[in-house]
Amino acid sequence: MATRKVRYKKLSVKTPLPVLREDQIDPTEYESLTNESQIATGVEQAEENEYHLQAVLQGAGVAADKEIPVPPPEESTLSYDALYPQKFQQTCTYIRFSQTVEECIGCMYDMTEDDEAFLESYNKQRVALAQLSDDDFEKIMEVFEDTAYIKTPFAAVDQTVVAYDEMLHGLHDLDKSKIMPHAKEIYEFWKSRRQALGNRPLHPTLKYEMHQESDDMDPYVCFRRREVRLTRKTRQRDVQSAEKLKRLRKELEEGRQLVLASHSRELLKAEMLKTDRAIFEQRAQLKEHKIRLGIKTDDEDLINQKKRKAPDVPAVQRPPPPSQIRMPLRPDGRPTEADLAQLADRLAEKENELRADIEKKVQNHSDWNKAHVDLTRGPLSPVVGPRPDLSFRPAKTQYLMTPPASASSASLEEPMPMELDKPENHPPVFKFRGVAQDEKSMENPPVYRRRIGRLNRLWIDRRGLASPPGERSEEQSDQWKYDQSSDDEEDTPMYEVDPFDTRALKFRASVPLPPWMSRATVPNRQAALPLPPNMPPNLPPAQLAQLAQPPQQALPRPMSQGQPAL
Amino acid sequence: MSPPGANGESTVGSDAPRQKGKANADTLKVGCIAWVIKDGQPRRAEILSIRDTKSGRQFYCNFDNFNKRLDEWVPVARIDFNQDVEWPNPEKEKQKDGKTKKAPAVSKKQPSKKAQKKVAKREQSVASEGQTPHPWAEFVESQPQVKTPAKTDDAEDKANASLEFGGTPGVGPDEMELDEDETPAERAKKERAQSFSREEEIEKLRTSGSMTQNPAEISRIRNISRVEFGRYILFPWYFSPYPEAFSQEDCMFICEFCLSYYGDLKSFSRHRQKCTLQHPPGNEIYRDDFVSFFEIDGRRQRTWCRNLCLLSKMFLDHKTLYYDVDPFLFYVMTTRDEHGNHLIGYFSKEKESTDGYNVACILTLPQYQRKGYGRLLIQFSYELSKIEGKLGSPEKPLSDLGLLSYRQYWSENIIEVLLQSSEREEKCTIEGIASALSMTTQDVEHTLQALKMQVYHKGEHKIVVPEKLIKQREKSKLKQKRIIEPDLIQWKPPVFTAASRTWGW
Repeated sequence: MATRKVRYKKLSVKTPLPVLREDQIDPTEYESLTNESQIATGVEQAEENEYHLQAVLQGAGVAADKEIPVPPPEESTLSYDALYPQKFQQTCTYIRFSQTVEECIGCMYDMTEDDEAFLESYNKQRVALAQLSDDDFEKIMEVFEDTAYIKTPFAAVDQTVVAYDEMLHGLHDLDKSKIMPHAKEIYEFWKSRRQALGNRPLHPTLKYEMHQESDDMDPYVCFRRREVRLTRKTRQRDVQSAEKLKRLRKELEEGRQLVLASHSRELLKAEMLKTDRAIFEQRAQLKEHKIRLGIKTDDEDLINQKKRKAPDVPAVQRPPPPSQIRMPLRPDGRPTEADLAQLADRLAEKENELRADIEKKVQNHSDWNKAHVDLTRGPLSPVVGPRPDLSFRPAKTQYLMTPPASASSASLEEPMPMELDKPENHPPVFKFRGVAQDEKSMENPPVYRRRIGRLNRLWIDRRGLASPPGERSEEQSDQWKYDQSSDDEEDTPMYEVDPFDTRALKFRASVPLPPWMSRATVPNRQAALPLPPNMPPNLPPAQLAQLAQPPQQALPRPMSQGQPAL
Repeated sequence: MSPPGANGESTVGSDAPRQKGKANADTLKVGCIAWVIKDGQPRRAEILSIRDTKSGRQFYCNFDNFNKRLDEWVPVARIDFNQDVEWPNPEKEKQKDGKTKKAPAVSKKQPSKKAQKKVAKREQSVASEGQTPHPWAEFVESQPQVKTPAKTDDAEDKANASLEFGGTPGVGPDEMELDEDETPAERAKKERAQSFSREEEIEKLRTSGSMTQNPAEISRIRNISRVEFGRYILFPWYFSPYPEAFSQEDCMFICEFCLSYYGDLKSFSRHRQKCTLQHPPGNEIYRDDFVSFFEIDGRRQRTWCRNLCLLSKMFLDHKTLYYDVDPFLFYVMTTRDEHGNHLIGYFSKEKESTDGYNVACILTLPQYQRKGYGRLLIQFSYELSKIEGKLGSPEKPLSDLGLLSYRQYWSENIIEVLLQSSEREEKCTIEGIASALSMTTQDVEHTLQALKMQVYHKGEHKIVVPEKLIKQREKSKLKQKRIIEPDLIQWKPPVFTAASRTWGW
């Protein structure tokens, strides 16, 4: 077995292990697991090999036939009952106790053998009544020691001795008549004993920390104050996030208060409305009664004007609200909107007054100037009158009858969407607008003026062309087609236009060919038309033609609004 | 080199070769390693201190591979001057002992002077122990040979002695003086290393809240020779930082109830007339017909807990009193009679342990050792963990006696669990055992391995309970051991806020 080298499966603490007695398994069949590393005993490494410990560990598990020898205690020779005379009363319940040692002892000074000898000789000089008892002696000494500890904590170093006068304060608390006659003499004894000990406390005390450097090495220094545990490194961030959380909480709290306040405000309002209604109903009843009973008093009690006035006065005097994102809550609980509306009303009112005043003055003025023409009022303005400007001449256009362009059949079949949409309103494909002018347009024909400006620039001024923008003439009725938004179509908008509309044709003719088109001189445009970039290649020719047009068709629309083509 | 009977490497003195030579009682100096008769056998021993008494010169010896509690003052007669003495080796001092990682930091300003001072202090503090002959020498000699120990069946009593736990590794080095002929550079280097580790160590103490030993703090020589405590006279095992004045006294008196300490009988008896305490000053949380447990807050009962720590330090090597007792709770076990509740032992526990320890220090006073009280203390600590719903483990390192006590408690309880599941023919996991006993899984594994119960059989991990352990269990069952009755515990885990832990609010 010793030769067999098996790699053991790692033993996890969660692995269920069968438990067997030694006699249930053949001892030759198993090997006990001995960790490569020796079992950590937990004993100080240097002490692990100690002779007596090893002697016991060798027989681990066997009956403890070995012991670690220790210095044995002995029975005390002192009389225990004399030293511990008190009897202990067993309580029925578990003891609960929180007094400290100091509270249980009382006087902390314990007389030593030296003290005893001194007190004996001291008392010998006195009559029995004037003698000082052990207890009182200890009390006095305790006061001296305590006072010295408080007043001169470094007495052993700086050798200051507390004066007797300073001790008196502490002695006052004791029973004066018994203590005071002895205090001075005891003080002298105390002082001499203190000085014999290098001005150290008479009772040996533990060494506490005094001086960092020397203390650390001193095995007698014990019970140091424990310093505060190290603060965590992330403390700064903790503080920040704590601040944030605090602020957040405060804001949320404020919001909550706001909600609560407005809730109570609304409740009050409802209350007020109810009260108002009740008052109203009461008054109505009162009125009825009055009428029925024929009581004629002035109806003071049916109205309350005084109350109405009160809230109005501050509303007027209130300064305009400061520019603020959040509206401040009005102290009287009324919504801010009502207040604002009033202000606007007042402004409008003032404006109206002003306007009325001005109009009145204008009226007065014109009355006064009746039958007079005052040319000096507007010396540079043109004289108002129906006189036509001679320099403008009405434009007289003549259009030649043009046969329809030899359009391909494709474009003739094309207007499918139009039929679908609005076949009735569909304008005729051909329209010679230049010839067939309607009456309306004849009334105010467009007029033009030619003038030559600086540097021989030629200016054409025109007039009477613009039609009111809101008015939709019949020829503009297909504008909606271009107005459709591209939202519902995913790709480029298709503008359906009548390719043979005269105006469009004319306009198109005036537009210079884009460079990519300029090469195409072949008569059959659609066939020869090279594809503009980013155009799907396999579209039917008609659509292709349509697609080819947008660069030009984008333009006619604003034109058709503002002016007809020349 | 190893003396007969010693089965470890020598731990006294360095591994490095040392100068050797003959010496006599006058030339032998501190730091020498000589052969000293101990238990009728010669052993290597390091001289830690020397004093002159009326009966002649005495040497304080630390014996090779013996616990420090067996250190003693020996007269010249027990030193074998026929053997060569190993002289202290100043250059090698720093690697000395192999185990010694740290030497006491010495103030950089005047190391040699300081060192001398230290020696002087040590000798002074040591001088007091001499007047009263230590009874220990006689005791050891009266013991049966260790190799043929007395046969006793008291399995459970073998090690219910004092248990102790401490933290930092490395036993305190001997506080050897730095020799004058050391080069300044070397010295500075050494000091740097020392002070650095020292700082680290204090930092560790500061932040971990541990009460474990700070090796540099160890004063290797007992300062108190004899303690009157209740009905007993105790002979301290280790140094304890009672006021230095007490090391001059033959005997120190400690009040059994408030644990206050007195240098003379008069003041002690005066104190006894005033002291009204008759039980530990805290709440009783457990009572059966045998023992009681009291819970005491180190912060509330600072004086009492300090006194308790000072007392226990005399029997715990790896306890530190470097810092105050505030962050600890003390669970004190007492026995009752018509005079009051007498302290048997205690364990301290951090109010909040970051490492999951359920015990910091644990001690049964020597007069109650080997009577099964240690087991009760340990059991109680695990019962508290059970109530808390935590898995606990004692703080390390364990003392030799602590290790034995814990091992025994662990093995008995684990075997109990194992045999129960064996009878039901159930499998059990290490985790299951751990949670059933509130032990950590490491401690369970440790015990299983120490008892050689973890086996590998036919490609499977198994647990085999050895026959001798079953027999032992049956035997001890007949003995009617005392146990803690969990139902009698009236305790809720105390809750401390972060502020109260940090600031003591």
